[in-house]
Amino acid sequence: MGLLDKLSGWLGLRKKEVNVLCLGLDNSGKTTIINQLKPSNTQEQEIVPTIGFNIEKFKSSSLLFTVFDMSGQNRYRNLWEHYYKESHAIIFVVDSSDKLRMVVAKEELDTLLNHEDIRCKKLPMLFFANKMDLQDSMSSIRVSQMLCLENIKDKPWHICDSNAIKGEGLQEGLDWLQGEVFNNKTVTLGYKGREGQVKLCSECQFTHAY
Amino acid sequence: MIKKFDKKDEESGSGSNPFQHLEKSAVLQEARIFNETPINPRRCLHILTKIIYLLNQGEHFGTTEATEAFFAMTRLFQSNDQTLRRMCYLTIKEMANISEDVIIVTSSLTKDMTGKEDVYRGPAIRALCRITDTTMLQAIERYMKQAIVDKVPSVSSSALVSSLHMVKMSYDVVKRWVNEAQEAASSDNIMVQYHALGLLYHLRKNDRLAVTKMLNKFTKSGLKSPFAYCMLIRIASKLLDETEAGHDSPLFDFIESCLRNKNEMVVYEAASAIVHMPNCTARELAPAVSVLQLFCSSPKAALRYAAVRTLNKVAMKHPSAVTACNLDLENLITDSNRSIATLAITTLLKTGSESSVDRLMKQISSFVSEISDEFKVVVVQAISALCQKYPRKHSVMMNFLSNMLRDDGGFDYKRAIVDCIISIIEENPESKETGLAHLCEFIEDCEHTVLATKILHLLGKEGPRTPQPSKYIRFIFNRVVLESEAVRAAAVSALAKFGAQNDDLCFAFLDDEVRDRATFYMNVLQQKQKALNAAYIFNGLSVSIPGLEKSLHQYTLDPSEKPFDMKSVPLATTPITEQKTEIAPVATSKLPEKLAPSRQDIYQEQLAAVPEFQGLGPLFKSSEPVQLTEAETEYVVRCIKHTFARHMVFQFDCTNTLNDQLLQKLTASPTVSPVPATL
Ligand SMILES: Nc1nc2c(ncn2[C@@H]2O[C@H](COP(=O)(O)OP(=O)(O)OP(=O)(O)O)[C@@H](O)[C@H]2O)c(=O)[nH]1
Ligand SMILES: [Mg+2]
Repeated sequence: MGLLDKLSGWLGLRKKEVNVLCLGLDNSGKTTIINQLKPSNTQEQEIVPTIGFNIEKFKSSSLLFTVFDMSGQNRYRNLWEHYYKESHAIIFVVDSSDKLRMVVAKEELDTLLNHEDIRCKKLPMLFFANKMDLQDSMSSIRVSQMLCLENIKDKPWHICDSNAIKGEGLQEGLDWLQGEVFNNKTVTLGYKGREGQVKLCSECQFTHAY
Repeated sequence: MIKKFDKKDEESGSGSNPFQHLEKSAVLQEARIFNETPINPRRCLHILTKIIYLLNQGEHFGTTEATEAFFAMTRLFQSNDQTLRRMCYLTIKEMANISEDVIIVTSSLTKDMTGKEDVYRGPAIRALCRITDTTMLQAIERYMKQAIVDKVPSVSSSALVSSLHMVKMSYDVVKRWVNEAQEAASSDNIMVQYHALGLLYHLRKNDRLAVTKMLNKFTKSGLKSPFAYCMLIRIASKLLDETEAGHDSPLFDFIESCLRNKNEMVVYEAASAIVHMPNCTARELAPAVSVLQLFCSSPKAALRYAAVRTLNKVAMKHPSAVTACNLDLENLITDSNRSIATLAITTLLKTGSESSVDRLMKQISSFVSEISDEFKVVVVQAISALCQKYPRKHSVMMNFLSNMLRDDGGFDYKRAIVDCIISIIEENPESKETGLAHLCEFIEDCEHTVLATKILHLLGKEGPRTPQPSKYIRFIFNRVVLESEAVRAAAVSALAKFGAQNDDLCFAFLDDEVRDRATFYMNVLQQKQKALNAAYIFNGLSVSIPGLEKSLHQYTLDPSEKPFDMKSVPLATTPITEQKTEIAPVATSKLPEKLAPSRQDIYQEQLAAVPEFQGLGPLFKSSEPVQLTEAETEYVVRCIKHTFARHMVFQFDCTNTLNDQLLQKLTASPTVSPVPATL
């Protein structure tokens, strides 16, 4: 830990740790996305299908993210729920070129949203409409329609187009998530100032409003 | 406070085991902190230690609780604390078979095994292979192949050893890694080379031709690792044994060449392999024995021990070859390591001349109390062998054995001594009396029922034929009054044999009881059917003793012209092993609480007490009780059928299960049910 970190720790500026769960069907690009977000010297050269899960850590400007990158294969999806309780945010990745399995993605999303450990929590949910670079990919609007995201009323959510291979669109999503987490924190800690939240909420509305 | 704790600790004799009073539920409760962020490595480490401790104590974990703890533990992978991570690997291995869905950690372990931290890589491989089944193995196959040829020895060794474990489960997959294993076998690291050879052998061991080829290859190219050499020697001697190849085979040459290896371990392995081969000629044995002889004077205790132990084993088979080492063995008699000394002496006992026996025995008795039971047994076995070889020495031996018998020692040791004495008695009639006397003394204070009954049996067999049978009766009688049922039973049987052998035996010096019993047996014996009765005493008892007693009693009360009929005595209803309890009632006056006559004897007695039934004669058979009511009814009724020669008695046992009501004036009205009409 560098001196600066220590200093910021004393000043109460130490980075908050957040647990993020990265979910989505297999082959949607979860691991590729997380790999892109890591510092370049720790990035993997080669991405293989995940079996079980991997834990990765990376920082944003104000947060320390601990991401549980889960396996999206059918037979491992029932293991996601073991990690619901302690997570502070969810990243849900969709392969926007996989029209065929969009219904499967929706089904998994609905199961997730109805889970008792998720239902009543105001977890921020970040969606990546991934593989935007592919010719036959759908737009994020189309993806959000197919997943019926507008029905999510009790959680802040946001959807971004992304190309995980190039790293495009990832930062935008992460910035949103960071803001939300901060908000959520301030709310739960009982802070009065709501400015950020209002602003972000309107932004949400804005993003939803297509 | 601390003092108090210490004291309590001392009392419970626990030393200072901080985990002694762990509660599984409390530990699992604690394990919930694994879910908290940030992780506290020190605390988590402590809790994992407790879980592993409990698992190793054999504590049972239900699937649900184990799975919950396991998944909580998986979260600890976010910590980069090295000790904690390695503890996680351990936990994974321990819980691999009790938690569900352990494959959840597959990717995490794969990442660690291919990562930059070398301390993680080996243990991660081992843990990964524990949670992987055949279907999953394909997914990690690539990593396993890479790990086998990894340049870090601990990684390569871990992969090789894990592969070896998986051969049993997924032979076909692991077989595909032969090339990598071959490469590892040429590693400069001695452990890697050894483990690679192990894997290669296990992949081929069912294919004799492939094993032969492999041996040829490695014996020619030579190996760096002494461990691998030892393994090659074992493989080679196994193959020699299986193929029954002659000693002109190149395999034998290879083993013999290993006698000249630089490494002592290899030399010993080769020597040991040769001396254990069947049909070795003296010429073939000589070089092997001479390296063992050399080791006998090594400054390293381990080598001396190995050498003398091996010589001890082959001394019986090849005494003449071992005789060459006698001088060196003599030097080891006074070795400060008692195990070495014992083995040296017992070897010399096997190979030495008759004249040296006394000296050696004296030597060994000087420290026999200091060696462990295991070696004492070795000594007894040597004595046993010696007695066969030099029967004239039996008095020295017997003396020695009796001293040993008086010493402390476990069951195996005592049994060895008793067996040895018995075999001496059997082979040397003149040693019988001393031997029996020692054994009598031994059973006076013997905690091993098996040995006591064995000796009593022997006394019953041999005692009556000795010039002074009365000598043994006191010892046997003591057993009757003092011991457990099994020993008492054996003692009474032994006494009966004395009675059967010597009709005129003088019982005057015994107290009333034994006299009674002796008289009882005499009584039996004096009945006309002497031959039958004797057979019945000698061959074990097939009739119920209380029944016999009763019948005889009846017979004496009501004298008739007819001889007593043994056939009127009911047969014993209990199996042979329980006869002991039936024999016991003869000693009625002293041990009433330990009597357990058979069920039928009890019925007979109960029925005889009812005046109406007195004329029915002996009870032929009683049925098992039949429940006539459900188990939970207010009044439980069961019926037992007693069959006499001409009568049938139905006994109804009525039990009142209500404690606030009285059961009075019961009548039984049996009806003969009509044959049910067909539907
Ligand atoms: N063209 C394109 N390919 C991508 C993109 N993101 C990921 N991929 C590819 O998609 C494949 C699957 O990516 P992963 O990151 O392994 O997918 P995952 O969601 O982690 O899959 P599981 O671990 O099995 O659940 C890989 O071959 C990636 O290279 C993208 O934005 N564009
Ligand atoms: Mg993945």
